Amino acid sequence: MALGDLEREVMQQLWDAGEPLTVRQVHERLSRSRDLAYTTVMTVLDRLAKKGVVLQQKADRAYRYAPAQSREEMTAALMLDALSAAPDGVRDAALAHFVGRIDPSALTAAIEAARKPAG
Amino acid sequence: MTALLLGALGLTLSLVVPGALAAARWPDRAPAAAVVLWQSITLAGILCALGVVLAAPQELVHELGSGKPVGVAALIAALGVAALIIIRLLVSLAGVTYRSRTRRARHRMLVDLLDDAERHGELPAEVPPGLRVLDGPLPFAYCLPGRNPRVVVSGGALRILDSSQVAAVIAHEQAHLRHRHDLVMESFTAFYRAVPRPLRSRAPLDAVHLLVEMVADDAARRRCGAEPLRTALAVLGDAVSPDAPAEARGDAEQERRRRTARLAGPDGRSLAWSALSVTLAVSLLVLPTVIIVVPWLGRALMAWPF
Repeated sequence: MALGDLEREVMQQLWDAGEPLTVRQVHERLSRSRDLAYTTVMTVLDRLAKKGVVLQQKADRAYRYAPAQSREEMTAALMLDALSAAPDGVRDAALAHFVGRIDPSALTAAIEAARKPAG
Repeated sequence: MTALLLGALGLTLSLVVPGALAAARWPDRAPAAAVVLWQSITLAGILCALGVVLAAPQELVHELGSGKPVGVAALIAALGVAALIIIRLLVSLAGVTYRSRTRRARHRMLVDLLDDAERHGELPAEVPPGLRVLDGPLPFAYCLPGRNPRVVVSGGALRILDSSQVAAVIAHEQAHLRHRHDLVMESFTAFYRAVPRPLRSRAPLDAVHLLVEMVADDAARRRCGAEPLRTALAVLGDAVSPDAPAEARGDAEQERRRRTARLAGPDGRSLAWSALSVTLAVSLLVLPTVIIVVPWLGRALMAWPF
């Protein structure tokens, strides 16, 4: 299994849990469906913490991990980044939209819509 | 005389030609070749500026019959200014490249974590490896270029598009990635930023942006047909600017209408216009060099002060 997929699944477990989890807890939850080494889970959590998407807290002599943002917050932030990357204000051409340029007025409306929680 | 000729050519290329070419409609029939022409115009403009900077001091010194020390000073100053122009362009290019790389890397990392493709049954049967679904209400699609590219479609887009339209959107984005349109856009953005503010023009940047969209449209049309692509563009375009009346939507809407119009009729691409455009592009770089620069270089080297 690719490391990227594993990172995504670990994030999913942390989001679903709703509370900080230890490496052991994450390992248990993932092991229900497949065989996975404890150290692999530890490495993945460490990587996610280095990327800043997971926060590491020390409690009761064990590290616990929690997502830095909820899934909805992170999605909204990413959409905002995607939309404001439109080359209209001559932001750097980081990505290319299917519809081409986006009008500034439409952008404001879109950003408002993106701020609302998904659903 | 050389400096005057190059200066006139350079001003024409940077002040007159872009407006005319941006207003022309024939590039719609040869978008890829028109991109080459824009690149050639921009590069020729830069070369003219460098030519003026190098030739003007030499010619002035020659006309005035000044002595050797003046000639040396003029030469050093000219080389310095020329180097400054080149450095400014390179710094701008490095800045744009660096910023878009880091931004893309961060964006890619997050979009990989948030990918929701497994839950979406409406995706085409063979999902390309770099496809990611971002689960949000807003309907949009974009690509994230680079060595490890992604095509991102939002859950909102999947809800309002049918499967043939989704396939067309993905084909369009993959064409951007395959043809490395990001490099084209980065170089024009870098040039735009390097030009001093009073002389700046958005015309090349906007025109090339529209042209690469047309190139991607053509590639997607070949793979998926024009109709799904045209309707997808209409649906997603309306979703991006939902409330504004059509006449108040501005340039972005104009551009979408130009793309839609191309897709409504038969494939209008013309080999003749492409050939003409590429010929023009090559001539713009070769002819001034042969007619103006080479003779001057001969004279200037004869009078080389060292």
